[in-house]
Amino acid sequence: MDLSLETRQEDGHTIIEVGGEIDVYTAPKLRDKITELVGNGEYNLVIDMEKVDFLDSTGLGVLVGGLKKVRAHDGSMRLICNQERLLKIFRITGLAKVFAIHSSQADALAER
Amino acid sequence: MRSGGARTTTGISVTIVRDPALVRTVRLVAAAVARRGSRDEEFVEEVRLAVGEACALLVGADATLAAVADPVEVSMRLEDRLRVVVRSGGAATAEDESTGDVDGIEPWALLRGLITDFSVQRDVDGTALSMSWPLR
Repeated sequence: MDLSLETRQEDGHTIIEVGGEIDVYTAPKLRDKITELVGNGEYNLVIDMEKVDFLDSTGLGVLVGGLKKVRAHDGSMRLICNQERLLKIFRITGLAKVFAIHSSQADALAER
Repeated sequence: MRSGGARTTTGISVTIVRDPALVRTVRLVAAAVARRGSRDEEFVEEVRLAVGEACALLVGADATLAAVADPVEVSMRLEDRLRVVVRSGGAATAEDESTGDVDGIEPWALLRGLITDFSVQRDVDGTALSMSWPLR
């Protein structure tokens, strides 16, 4: 399964709906999308990972890189993830404390 | 790919060139082997992630290996435990580097955190990452 990326605007945020596998092969595609959005002045990102089937350290690296980019512009990056197998990876790497991880788009957008 | 043997002695070897696109294939094989040993999907997922992570490191996420032309070999044996060895030419650092392609993440730390029985051997032939799990 390749990586799919759909973006849309909602409530002042850019939501990226990610599907498929984020790994050493596909992660550059997500990195390029985040770089493009930040380059366009979109600094408040929500990454919806509900349809992500696999995530490795390369994918985590892209998310951390994205977080650094938006923070450099006083922006934010919120994640939507409710799959235990992905949440476990965030916990092992200590990133569960770094990212704001929400269980739904409604929760992510409700945070102020 | 070679495979054979009864359920208790399943052995599979996969060799891939250093192409990140092929790491997914290795993950699929690893998951299939794990599933032969256990119906616990959490265990299968752990094996899939760990083998994919080890394979990705030797394919090129470790910056010191990026120029090495040797293929990456993955051997999986299902005995009393599931034993996996991922091997390639070149000397991996076996340490996380802040300047690597992975920005701020520690792939070696992830592997060590994920697997209780994990070791790295380096010799003149290259680097071998060994890992094993008890069958659940």
